[in-house]
Amino acid sequence: MSRVTVDIDLNRVEGDLEFQLDLEDGIVVDARCIGTLYRGFEQILIGRQPKDSLVITPRVCGICGTAHLYAATRALEQLAGIEPGAHAVHIRNLCLMAETVQSDLRQTFLFFTPDFCNPLYRGHAMAAEIGDAFAQLKGHVVRGCLKRSRELVGIVAIFGGQWPHSSYMLPGGVSQPANSRRLMDAADIVASVRAWFEESVLGGDLHDFLALDDAESLFRWLEANPRRRAAALSLMTRFAISIGLNSIGSGTLHMLSYGVNPQPGKGNGHALAAGFFNGDTRAVEPLDQGQINEHVRHSWFLDYPGGRHPWQGETIPNHLPGSDRYTWSKAPRYGERVVQTGPLAELRIAADPLICALLERDGDNTWLRQFARLRRCAWMLDSLSATLAQLRQEMGEPHYVDPGITTWPDGQSYGLIEAARGALGHWVRIRDGVIDKYQIVTPTAWNASPRDSEGRHGHWERSIIGMRVDNPENPVEIGHVVRSHDPCLVCTVHFIGHGGKTRIGV
Amino acid sequence: MPNILWMQTGACSGDTMSLLCADRPSLEQLDLQYGVKLLWQPSLTADRSFGDVLAAVLAGDEKLDVLCIEGSLMVGPGNTGMFDTWKGRPKIDIVRQLAPLATDVVAMGTCAAFGGVHAAGMNPTDCTGLQFHKDTPGGLLGTAWRARSGRPVINVSGCPAHPNTITKVLAMIAAGEEIALDQFNRPTAFFASLVHQGCTRNEYHEYDIEDSELGGRGCMFFSLGCRGPQTVAPCNTELWNGHSSKTRAGVPCFGCTSPSFPPDGDLFSTPRIGAIPKFLPLGVVRAKYMAYKNLARAAAPERVVNREMEP
Repeated sequence: MSRVTVDIDLNRVEGDLEFQLDLEDGIVVDARCIGTLYRGFEQILIGRQPKDSLVITPRVCGICGTAHLYAATRALEQLAGIEPGAHAVHIRNLCLMAETVQSDLRQTFLFFTPDFCNPLYRGHAMAAEIGDAFAQLKGHVVRGCLKRSRELVGIVAIFGGQWPHSSYMLPGGVSQPANSRRLMDAADIVASVRAWFEESVLGGDLHDFLALDDAESLFRWLEANPRRRAAALSLMTRFAISIGLNSIGSGTLHMLSYGVNPQPGKGNGHALAAGFFNGDTRAVEPLDQGQINEHVRHSWFLDYPGGRHPWQGETIPNHLPGSDRYTWSKAPRYGERVVQTGPLAELRIAADPLICALLERDGDNTWLRQFARLRRCAWMLDSLSATLAQLRQEMGEPHYVDPGITTWPDGQSYGLIEAARGALGHWVRIRDGVIDKYQIVTPTAWNASPRDSEGRHGHWERSIIGMRVDNPENPVEIGHVVRSHDPCLVCTVHFIGHGGKTRIGV
Repeated sequence: MPNILWMQTGACSGDTMSLLCADRPSLEQLDLQYGVKLLWQPSLTADRSFGDVLAAVLAGDEKLDVLCIEGSLMVGPGNTGMFDTWKGRPKIDIVRQLAPLATDVVAMGTCAAFGGVHAAGMNPTDCTGLQFHKDTPGGLLGTAWRARSGRPVINVSGCPAHPNTITKVLAMIAAGEEIALDQFNRPTAFFASLVHQGCTRNEYHEYDIEDSELGGRGCMFFSLGCRGPQTVAPCNTELWNGHSSKTRAGVPCFGCTSPSFPPDGDLFSTPRIGAIPKFLPLGVVRAKYMAYKNLARAAAPERVVNREMEP
């Protein structure tokens, strides 16, 4: 038996991703997911005015800054007991959905499907049509994705000024009301993207696709006619299954969602419910943020025993190369369980019948995660139209009510939201009117977590342990599995709780 | 047929997203019209690895026309550069190796130009820009550094850089055009307009109708922290994503193209001396400005005073 350790760096993810794999006779026996960047964001926030988080935290992530803005806004609203009006909530949801669909399309067609054009598959029966559709920057689906994703974020610009990185959500509402011109412009974008999605991705009607509720009807639908077989979803699915992506890459079955599209009015929940899917009992449990903690046993941070809730968290960099610590990412756990988060979790927790059926049938796998992402796009394209219609009803209501706060009250609060990659939480503590502590737990922190103090592997690590890697020089299987998780490493970088400038002896 | 090696250092990927949002010219048109080839782009390259590209360029087997850097240059901890690595090597060392080989080096975004958001406050990662640290010349490469073209680092600042500024600067380089630079080495073709120019709240500013609460229609300069009259950027002369800008949408300009971004102090509040902002519109004399504002307020028409006009 020969044991070798290989270092793999992956691009076409957001940020920097490296994996260290221990291979025995070509099988992955251990995996270490390495976050290679530390940005110190949280320390930058300490001592600043609470509202500055609306400008600083979107800059954590260029691809999901709207989600960070939403989480930061909700945290401050919770702190001061502010309930935003329906006008503002609908605008926030429109912008977040536009950002999410943008991200899902780019992730699928710029990051994931280019691997189907790997030289390894040159002899595949579908190689020619895969190349026509998915060749990087040239394929017709890729060209369509570039154009439509660019168009989509126009919705954020219409309501919030620009994408990426604006600060139009405010505690109490949004900075600018909807009017009939803006609604018309946004509706026009939704219609245009939807038409392309139906033509090029589904090869069929959006509502027909959303109505599919079991595995057989899905696979029958994907094969129904030549136009549909040539569309991206069918191509992606048929190719993925032909190379076995529906049977590799399963990680943890525990899932977490903070809920999609918070609804206006106190206690009205979300359009897609929040919750924790317990992979052992297969039941959805109510979300309890008190169960969240973070471990640092294998991270380059000063150690503490076990895990700590974000309000008690401590993040003091301690770079120790050559030790059993290997990443700038922490290990968040929910009730001490490893969880996954993202579109698959959102749709399972919200009991989408098709996703429930596919998960029951095949378990968590590489193809299903990617399929769930496009399923969510379809749901959101429909929901964008519905939300525009609801917003039209609220145009007479205020878009913003000034909370009249000159000094923010002392206290601690949190803001939870579903970003494109899943559960995103901001935990904040205010003291003497300024930020005393700010802790962000990103979706990729959940998915890409290293081992914790009990030695439990993170979700991605688990999803590749046991896999066969034929050629470590071209580890295309690893690429499929890891990219199907939609990594965003820029977000994962961790933050300093408080204290002075850090100097580390290495 | 210029090629581009685009490298991310301490970044959020926002400038890459901005690149994907460009429409005049778009990424596709950069290729079709200007022959720009992506030797490496972290989010887009599918046919080779970074290690392969790096080795070929360093060995001189592949020429490097344009090196684009996105992100702050992480010097910490303790000058090791280990807060930001590629396969265990500090990224700052890789940037130092590649920069002298490039015909031109472009800082894409305020982080690579001046340090940016990561350099705010106590600068926990000891980060800096390529040739400036905030407004002080120097940075990672030093004041005297020049690319093979003889130009200093071209600073396409912005957080993120404006989509069409990114692609137009690349197209200008590809077309061999002269690129005039301002005192912070930003191309004047894009950084000789104020954000204030073209802001649809201008009439409110003109007549001194200022908002003290967010969410309104008036000007945000006197109370709400807007830096539009002091910030050079194309945001209101070439709209974002084809539609709007922050100030049009009621979000103050935070001056994100400036070396000092993000400033210390409350970002949603304007520091003032008496009733007048501490920092005036670029080049304006305080006494004259006060006189002008008094007259302007007196001349304001009712429709503006009553905020009837939509920005």
